[in-house]
Amino acid sequence: MAAALPVRAQVPAAGAEVRQHATWSPYDDNGGTVVAVAGDDYCVVAASTRMSTGYSILTRDKTKILRLNPKCVVASAGMQADMETLHKMLHMHHVKYHFNHRKPMSCPATAQLLSNTLYYKRFFPYYTFNLCAGLDEEGRGAVYTYDAIGSYERVGYGCQGSGKELIQPVLDNQLKAASPLVLPQQQWLSSLPLGRPCSHQQTSPALTNLQQWLSSLPLEQAVDLVKGAFVSAGERDIYTGDDVEILVITKEGVRTDRLELKRD
Amino acid sequence: MFLTRSEYDRGVNTFSPEGRLFQVEYAIEAIKLGSTAIAVRTDEGVVMAVEKRVTSPLLEPSSIEKVAEIDEHIGVAMSGLTADARTLIDHGRVETQQHRFTYNEPMPLESVTQSLCDLALRFGEDDNDEGGMSRPFGVALLVAGWDAEGGPVLFHTDPSGTYVKYDAKAIGSGSEGAQTALQESYRKDMTLKEAEVLALSTLKQVMEEKVTATNVDIARVAPKWHLYTPEEVEEVITRL
Repeated sequence: MAAALPVRAQVPAAGAEVRQHATWSPYDDNGGTVVAVAGDDYCVVAASTRMSTGYSILTRDKTKILRLNPKCVVASAGMQADMETLHKMLHMHHVKYHFNHRKPMSCPATAQLLSNTLYYKRFFPYYTFNLCAGLDEEGRGAVYTYDAIGSYERVGYGCQGSGKELIQPVLDNQLKAASPLVLPQQQWLSSLPLGRPCSHQQTSPALTNLQQWLSSLPLEQAVDLVKGAFVSAGERDIYTGDDVEILVITKEGVRTDRLELKRD
Repeated sequence: MFLTRSEYDRGVNTFSPEGRLFQVEYAIEAIKLGSTAIAVRTDEGVVMAVEKRVTSPLLEPSSIEKVAEIDEHIGVAMSGLTADARTLIDHGRVETQQHRFTYNEPMPLESVTQSLCDLALRFGEDDNDEGGMSRPFGVALLVAGWDAEGGPVLFHTDPSGTYVKYDAKAIGSGSEGAQTALQESYRKDMTLKEAEVLALSTLKQVMEEKVTATNVDIARVAPKWHLYTPEEVEEVITRL
């Protein structure tokens, strides 16, 4: 007599029971836009102050700029909680650096540290879109732009956050060339061979071109361009609005300016 | 009860009633047995000159290393138990590379020196089995480097973990005579070439053997580390 075969237990399909949590995400996008433009002897850094989630505005006055020292700031858009943590981390490193080496962290050093900090969380990244900006060792404007996991590049100007798609093309058009097909293309910072900082470097042709490009943009014009870009982005992007905090970094120090945008 | 010196000179973490740490003092004495090393700082860079004791004609002189590179912009000259210096040099190399990795810039010289001195002080710690030290280092270093801001710098470190900045410094068996000679001849406005001559001629005064390209090493940081070839050493000798 054939023994009755035990009925195979009904096992739920893999993952079926955890489905109820599948919609939860550790991330939230709180929006916001940050912009930085480098000049020959200045750097303009701007960030919107609105913080949102979905259609709600959580606050109209949240700074996205971490001022490390008079020559270096970090501006971040994206998720506020991650931004706060990242900024606290960078601030802590900056204080330790100051104690250990008896000088403030330079902008290029902060840029490398930020890259490492982001890459350290390669598999659970900070949901932040960052710019590191300020003046380099020679006193020239410096802007570094990042992806979420720390890949970075030194550029002449940069934009990150919810208004990036609206602002970046405007900056490209105004600061680089109307089209990449236009020849000769204007020289800008990212085409520079940037090696280790060395005070004994000779002036290379690329550096001369850069200096020409940088000095061709007066500070007032750069500030106006940034303001105009934010006003336009504020019209179309619901996550960019309320106020824009504008920092003008020069060797004399940091000057703050504020631009009011629509509050709707 | 009266305690003799010998009862307090065993432990590295026991002060004598007069407030002295004998093992550290003995370690400093060990340096005075070492070969002489001299470093001179100028505005153009730092020059180091060291004596190599070639004790046998069968000995290969190039295998005696008394100057070493820590990083592109930092070098050290050593005197005392040079085997101990290996640990310090390795530590310095790791620290400077770590700094470049994190900040993409050369490490400031004082930070490197501080880090070497932190290591030199670890003899007092308890865990002697894993990574711990049973005694102080028996070596002194002349740490020469070039700072991105501030230019050429020279530091002297000893087994007590103390570091001091110098314009010109001699360590090792001939240090007393050499330091006096440096004090007489050093000028703030020296060129690098003059510093080469000052360092080597001072070394010559305190060396027992005749100076040759094989029994001295010369190195400079100006602004990058460079170890002189025998031909370059020969050239400096002709200028003495």
